[in-house]
Amino acid sequence: MTLKTLFKHRAGAALRRLWFFLTIFGPGLITASADNDAPGIATYSMAGSTYGYSFLWLLVAVTLGEVIVQEMAARMGAVTGKGTADLVRERFGVRVTTFAMLCLLLANLGTTVAQFAGIAAAAELFGISRYVAVPLAALLVGFVVLRGSYTHVEKVLLVLCLSALSYVVSAFILAPPWGEILRQAVTPSFQSDPQYILAVLATIGTTITPWGIVYMQASVADKGVELKDYRYTRLDVMAGATWGNVVSAFILICTAVTLYAHGMAVETAEQAAQALEPLAGAGAHYLFSTGLLGASLLAASVLPLSTTYAICEAFGWERGLDHRPREAPVFYGLYAAIIALSALVVLIPKIPLFPIMWLSQSLNAILLPVLLVLTLKLANDRRVMGEWTNGRVQNALAWGLTVMIGAITAALFVLPLTVAR
Amino acid sequence: MLYLSQLQGQKIWDAWSRPVGRCADILVGNLEQPFPTVVALALKDHGAPTRFIPAGQISELFPSIVLKVPKEDIETYTPVENELPLGARVMDRQIVDTEGRRVVRVNDLQFARLKDRFCLTGVDVGGRGLLRRLGVERPAVTIARLLRRCLPEHVIPWEDVAPLQHEDPLRLRISRDKISQLPPADIAAIMNDLDRRTGRALLTQLDDETLADALEESPPEVQVAALSQLSPERAADILEEMGPDEAADLLADLPAETSARLLELMEDEDAEDVQILLGYPEDSAGGIMTTEFAWVPVGLRAAEALDYLRRSPDAQDDEAMPYVYILDEEQHLHGMVSLRDLVMAPPDRSLEEEADDEPPTVEPLTPQEDVAYLVAKYDLLAVPVVDAEMGRMLGIVTVDDAIDIVLPTAWKKRLPRLY
Repeated sequence: MTLKTLFKHRAGAALRRLWFFLTIFGPGLITASADNDAPGIATYSMAGSTYGYSFLWLLVAVTLGEVIVQEMAARMGAVTGKGTADLVRERFGVRVTTFAMLCLLLANLGTTVAQFAGIAAAAELFGISRYVAVPLAALLVGFVVLRGSYTHVEKVLLVLCLSALSYVVSAFILAPPWGEILRQAVTPSFQSDPQYILAVLATIGTTITPWGIVYMQASVADKGVELKDYRYTRLDVMAGATWGNVVSAFILICTAVTLYAHGMAVETAEQAAQALEPLAGAGAHYLFSTGLLGASLLAASVLPLSTTYAICEAFGWERGLDHRPREAPVFYGLYAAIIALSALVVLIPKIPLFPIMWLSQSLNAILLPVLLVLTLKLANDRRVMGEWTNGRVQNALAWGLTVMIGAITAALFVLPLTVAR
Repeated sequence: MLYLSQLQGQKIWDAWSRPVGRCADILVGNLEQPFPTVVALALKDHGAPTRFIPAGQISELFPSIVLKVPKEDIETYTPVENELPLGARVMDRQIVDTEGRRVVRVNDLQFARLKDRFCLTGVDVGGRGLLRRLGVERPAVTIARLLRRCLPEHVIPWEDVAPLQHEDPLRLRISRDKISQLPPADIAAIMNDLDRRTGRALLTQLDDETLADALEESPPEVQVAALSQLSPERAADILEEMGPDEAADLLADLPAETSARLLELMEDEDAEDVQILLGYPEDSAGGIMTTEFAWVPVGLRAAEALDYLRRSPDAQDDEAMPYVYILDEEQHLHGMVSLRDLVMAPPDRSLEEEADDEPPTVEPLTPQEDVAYLVAKYDLLAVPVVDAEMGRMLGIVTVDDAIDIVLPTAWKKRLPRLY
């Protein structure tokens, strides 16, 4: 073998390996950027501007939770080759499935409303009325997805999402007290005020989402990841979850420095955009709304479809875009209904867009334990997972997370009662 | 009608009306029959392990489950091979409806009494089954009646379903026989709708020809996924069975190393055809043509030509044969005659007289749009592809491949399944 052919061979192998990594790493990166979708940006901005760095420790804990939960979903996809809804139906029957799917629908409907709220907020920052932008966006999303040109559009939207990175740059320009930030990131704190609890739930619910579980499992199952390649997928999932939350942390830091420091708790998208002023000056609005728009459109394309697909999978209705609407009436009907309903909610006059964005995420967190419990039971079932059941540490952490979310939710409803007395 | 959901969890009473436990599952046998018989009932009594009561000791299933014998005389049935616990293995699973040609989910299972036995008769795949499982069938029916609607039952006879589970090779073989008889496009759609494991199990069970035909109808990702799950030898066999144009498209989608290895494993003749096609861009006439077409030598009469075609291996491979081409030894095209004209011509008529001696042709690098235009303009079913320099005929582009660019087949519009 001459040096030249050797080199060629090497280069080829390296390229192939890169391609292999990219194809396998795809789902993780997408989920990671979708972490910082409109409700995500809203939640972290709200949390950072209202509670400063004190939310950082929660973000660290939630990252660990997300890694565990997403890894579980990915493993179930790789081992069974089936979707979450499919497994839930086969293992738990109609009643449990119906309940789980109602929760999923409710959570995802809330999040889709939040995406359209993000679109509306971004449009208004650009000076376009939401009554123009939202119907247009709804039509665009429906058209793009049904035409099947989603894969092309996805790349454009992903590039728009990269503007979330401007938070990272901004943070370094702002030169915040890093020592203090690190200290807060490892020091747990808690307040028993309903507003604070809602914010905690929103932070959990926007990071670990029911749809994230379903999407992760479906994409791994569909990619046909072989179990011998599973370790790469695991790496990807862990890297993706961590990476997404690093960006989230920077959003939190930026808003804490620029807004919390001046006692300004964010209540509108316009205020949230101010966190980017150190970087972009007067252009901060545009930078912020570009990112918001890209992330919202991306999630608004993916979410309704993934929800519809899961529900139709659970009940055995015809699904998928290779069926015509007449063959799959429920699939297309439900899909259209989710988009139409979400867009309509946002068009209600004077509805506050920014609170919708983050409060929908509190709802997500409240509904999350339902899917978590089912996922945990499945991931520990030898008949389903064979040798690939959860480890002890993973089980302990995942159950811990589930119980914690349940306890926080209970606190949300119980605390106001005790205060009233 | 009696349904599994109404039996599961029901109390079982012995001959003296004493409770013995609850019904956990139903075991059926004689699966190759149109109506498999109930052979045993799984009994669950708290504390005790689940055991089977033979069907012979059951007196009634409805309105309540009553045994013919007192508690003390209950025998224990030992399941043999080829018996199916319905609750555990069929309920809530996906199965193939071979009449409707689609994948459906089992919402419930229907039983009937045939003489002295209970038989499995059908699979409920409709909304009524879901409502029954939710325990709201009756109120729903009442409400529907008030609205002057009726909720139709959607029960598929057991004969017309094919349960597919990768862990159950026997059922898979029976199902395979049913599914093999469906049109290739439907098999492709079914493979696409199944989860990966089950799809793979079905894949390995189908014979080469059925699988090749189904793959020709599948989107590229499915083709690639399917082929990568087979052994290289089997994959090469499948490629040989596929039309060279389809095989070339598929090989072009595989990593270079894999496709080179598969080409080596294929028989020389097939591999050569495919290799020629691989040399052309995908959206050119060369990229979409097939090298399998019917031809006859110059100077034959109609009857001789028909006779020649019957014995010609090339004609054998031509899937549709809309036209027959007249070629000389250098493979120069001398004319084209439609099969209709050839069949209707008097037996001793010279073929050249019957033929169109200057049919429209394209070159291998002609863009697909131009081919589509030509096909539409002259109402052709296929157009010959002729090498520009040597004037040799290389293959034909059939109308379905030509117009693909204008009217994309359904799958081209679909998303990757991950939404």
